[in-house]
Amino acid sequence: MKFSENWLKEWINPQWDTSTLSEKLSLAGLEVDGAEPVAGQFTNVVVGHVLSVEKHPDADKLNVTQVDVGEAEPVQIVCGAKNVVAGMKACCAMVGAVLPGDFKIKKAKLRGVPSNGMLCGAPEIGLADYGVDGLLVLDQDAPIGQDVREYLDLNDMSIEVDLTPNRADCFSLQGIARDVRAISGVTLTQPFEIKEMAGSSACPQAVTVSESQACPKYLGCVVTDFNTQAKTPRWMVQKLERSGLRPLSLVVDITNYVLMELGQPMHAFDLAKIQGSIEIRLAKADEKLTTLDDKELTLKEDTLVIADDSGAIALAGIMGGLSTSVTAETNAIFFECAHFSRLAITGKARKYGLHTDSSMRFERGVDAMLPEKALNRALQLFTEIAGGIISAFNSTVSEADLPKAVTIELRRATIGSRLGVEIEDAQVIEIFELLDFKIETTDSGWMMTAPSYRFDMSIEMDLIEEVGRIFGYNNLPETPVLAPMTLNELPEDVQSLMSLKIALVQRGFNEVVTYSFVEEAKQKLLEPDLPYVLLQNPISDDMKAMRTSLFPGLLQTVAYNQNRQQPRVRIFETGLVFYKNDSDPTGATQVPMMGGVIAGQVAASGWDEAERHVDFYDLKGDVETLIRMSHQLANIRFEACNHPALHPGQSASIMKDGKEVGIMGQLHPSLVKAMGVSGNVYMFQVRQDALMNMQIPAAQAVSKYPEVQRDLAFVVDESLSAQALIDAVVSVKSDIFKAVELFDIYRGQGIEPNQKSIALTLKIQHAERTLQDEEVEVLVADILKAAKQAVNAELR
Amino acid sequence: MQEKLQAIISKAQEAVTSVTELAKLDDIRVQYLGKKGELTDMMKMLGKLSNEERPKAGQIINEAKQMVQGILNAKKRELDDAKLAKQLSEETIDVTLPGRDVDVGSLHPVTRTLNRIETLFSKAGFDIETGPEIEDDWHNFEALNIPETHPARAMHDTFYINENTVLRTHTSGVQIRTMENKKPPLRIIAPGRVYRCDSDQTHTPMFHQIEGLIIEKNASFAQLRALLIEFLRQFFEDENLQTRFRPSYFPFTEPSAEVDIATDLFGDGRWIEVLGCGMVHPNVLKNVGIDPDEYTGLAFGLGVERLAMLRYNVKDLRQFFENDLRFLQQFK
Repeated sequence: MKFSENWLKEWINPQWDTSTLSEKLSLAGLEVDGAEPVAGQFTNVVVGHVLSVEKHPDADKLNVTQVDVGEAEPVQIVCGAKNVVAGMKACCAMVGAVLPGDFKIKKAKLRGVPSNGMLCGAPEIGLADYGVDGLLVLDQDAPIGQDVREYLDLNDMSIEVDLTPNRADCFSLQGIARDVRAISGVTLTQPFEIKEMAGSSACPQAVTVSESQACPKYLGCVVTDFNTQAKTPRWMVQKLERSGLRPLSLVVDITNYVLMELGQPMHAFDLAKIQGSIEIRLAKADEKLTTLDDKELTLKEDTLVIADDSGAIALAGIMGGLSTSVTAETNAIFFECAHFSRLAITGKARKYGLHTDSSMRFERGVDAMLPEKALNRALQLFTEIAGGIISAFNSTVSEADLPKAVTIELRRATIGSRLGVEIEDAQVIEIFELLDFKIETTDSGWMMTAPSYRFDMSIEMDLIEEVGRIFGYNNLPETPVLAPMTLNELPEDVQSLMSLKIALVQRGFNEVVTYSFVEEAKQKLLEPDLPYVLLQNPISDDMKAMRTSLFPGLLQTVAYNQNRQQPRVRIFETGLVFYKNDSDPTGATQVPMMGGVIAGQVAASGWDEAERHVDFYDLKGDVETLIRMSHQLANIRFEACNHPALHPGQSASIMKDGKEVGIMGQLHPSLVKAMGVSGNVYMFQVRQDALMNMQIPAAQAVSKYPEVQRDLAFVVDESLSAQALIDAVVSVKSDIFKAVELFDIYRGQGIEPNQKSIALTLKIQHAERTLQDEEVEVLVADILKAAKQAVNAELR
Repeated sequence: MQEKLQAIISKAQEAVTSVTELAKLDDIRVQYLGKKGELTDMMKMLGKLSNEERPKAGQIINEAKQMVQGILNAKKRELDDAKLAKQLSEETIDVTLPGRDVDVGSLHPVTRTLNRIETLFSKAGFDIETGPEIEDDWHNFEALNIPETHPARAMHDTFYINENTVLRTHTSGVQIRTMENKKPPLRIIAPGRVYRCDSDQTHTPMFHQIEGLIIEKNASFAQLRALLIEFLRQFFEDENLQTRFRPSYFPFTEPSAEVDIATDLFGDGRWIEVLGCGMVHPNVLKNVGIDPDEYTGLAFGLGVERLAMLRYNVKDLRQFFENDLRFLQQFK
């Protein structure tokens, strides 16, 4: 909310400069977002009376004026504004004046005619012009020669406060002034007196409140016989402008003024356009209403409306309807000043795409005791400016539905324990006196009754917050938390995600963070068969589907970087993927994953080796590193697989205990273009839980006896996987058979086409003695036999 | 004899001088000191001398042998040194060429910041908890004292999956899940991704938060102050960091505050908002079955990107999610 600092000073003036006021408000919980001067910086501009206007002898568009500026002689000024007329009052920059932008006014000759100053338009002194082309026209009673800054009260600041939802009581000058009193202790003076304005003749507009819970108080009255030509006075326009409200018409301006001054939203109807009696009721299904801003709404049945015999004529507490709006022709007005309950208004405006000053206040709460005061104040302003005859008030009040004054116990001990400081009773009492509470002392503390405008008070902690706020959060001590010194768990069988990340970083991977919502079409290309979760209100169409893998984001990042001359990409990401699952309470199984992509050259700088593009085995080495870190390479198997996102001949399922825990492979060549990447791209994704369980080592003694190695080259069918041969070899169980390692693959001379040679090293060792040749030969023979039987492998 | 020996030495000396290869040098050794070498032959003649003459002659022949051996040894050292020098010279490389290794990658600045925060709090005995990112209405709103009709709902810019399911708008839901499952006292932090339906220069639809929660008997606002002031000073490594607590409002805490910092390190001493905090609202404690008269809670929420931007001089929030390698690799 924006307000004028000078307006606030009319209510309360602790003699603070703008920055002190801003800081004090912020530290009391009314966060000041900024303070701006209401006009540009300028000097020496006075109220001028244009005495005469004559055509410039040498220029069609210029006039020569004589302007009375309160000095002995009028000054001659050449003026180009279209709206300059004799008799008007205007802003006159004198010779020597400095206008915004350091524009200095000097004696000049315009086309041969001397000009000793300048008549100013609003923008020239840093004010809004509201579409007026030409001079800023001042009121006829403006005192000639008075400094314009003084006359227009321009030495003022517009202060913007960002109010939290609980402080709706501060949505007005009155509210801000009350908090200034609480923090300064300075006396608050309401700058006007409230008079009873109700007339004696009955209100001609009948009103029925059918929803007293939603509308516990509805005041209305009719004003007739007023001056329909009356204009909003300048002082009111200024205050509204400085509160960020654009002046519109007298009636609207007055309701806005009261809104800003006291915080009570009001509405004015054109009496002649109301058909029959008014009813405050819920909308009927599909009832139509065209609002003031000319939007036709189809109403929902939970919406409170003001209706007449023709149907809804206003959205209660949100916006008036077009059909009954006040116009220049209106000569009888029905003023509405009501209290709508928070619950009746909350969320309704948003459902219709509306957000008004009125709805914002009613949603957060308005003082239920305010309507009487506000209606009287509005009528007082209206009749002072436009005259008129006021009817009696037609008021419908349901006492039972009005909010009750809340009395809350505040215990002395709770203040100390919650805030962590002892505050003297006298200070507590002073704070609540300044906050307008009724205080009753008890043995353990006080019974506090909040004023009706502090409807945010309901429990003891609310009161403690007020004590802290006014005492000053920054005046509270800093007391270390004293808790029992216990050691946190440090499970050694859990690999930390950070270690895995650092392992990838050390292998040249850069960590990325991509959005969890991705483009639906791309996700469908990568994983056409997986159902996914959709957002109802995505930020854009390409961020609509919750990802079912890390691949869409990773590939998008590859494309982004390849398009920026970064052909070598090594990236990884960790995070949740979301599998649609209606049996989960959240509708999705959310699985933490780790995934990565590599593309481009193997080495960052290959000055002495042939450049080589990454391939499947480069990425497999990276993945195996992650698995080795949890000492579980033996439990993990890679099996050729088919995945729609991957090259059918270069893709592997990563299996653990017979379950797929990840996949890796080359991006399917037919998807390269669709994903916006170039070249061969290799990617992997593994469930974090598969990488994170570790085994706590149980060390074995190292044998002191020599290890025997036997190299065996097998000839097998080309289609046979190395894993199948190794599986056959290790199926031979023996205490002395320690390990097998693959060291060569050979095709070509000496090997039939459609066959290949796979060379293995067997490591053989006895724990307690040196091996006999015969023992080794028996084992090797067993292995050869097993390999022959299982996969038809022949010794080369 | 003396003269003869002298002549042999001179000859040997002459022969050695012109030698450039080790093999040649060995030929010379054989010629003079070998089995049939000239000095060996001289030695053989000793037998023909008288008993009186023999020791003296033996001595001078031996001296001559030693001299020749000395000449040979010196030359050998000379040749060895030259050979080594040649080898070393041939093996000289340009040590300024880059090493043969893969490049080192980088941790994302958000991870780096999260890790720093997690480490600080872990050392003070906080456990790290996580929770789902697609969250139900209860954990994201209702249990946190944000009922359907609460104006704060409108301020959350929530992404909806359906009426009862949202992308979590904050990590505060993890508070609820933790308190539902564990008994107080509690000290946790909950890092993670959160989502708001808002995207412009200073907002991204996804960002990271760390939620902190302490549930103790008699935890006080003064303790919250001490904890957060110390955290901020340690995080920014600035003992002179200025802080101020401003009253604010969150439905799930009361009293609530926002914390601003001012430092000479950045921001020209302006106040910069860095976190929100407060004492857990009694309604929240009741919602998870904790008696608010027995236990009180302290809670805080940190915007991770905000802290990362300040710490690492990142000017544009959106850079965190563009993942430009030229940006990321600055965080090695």
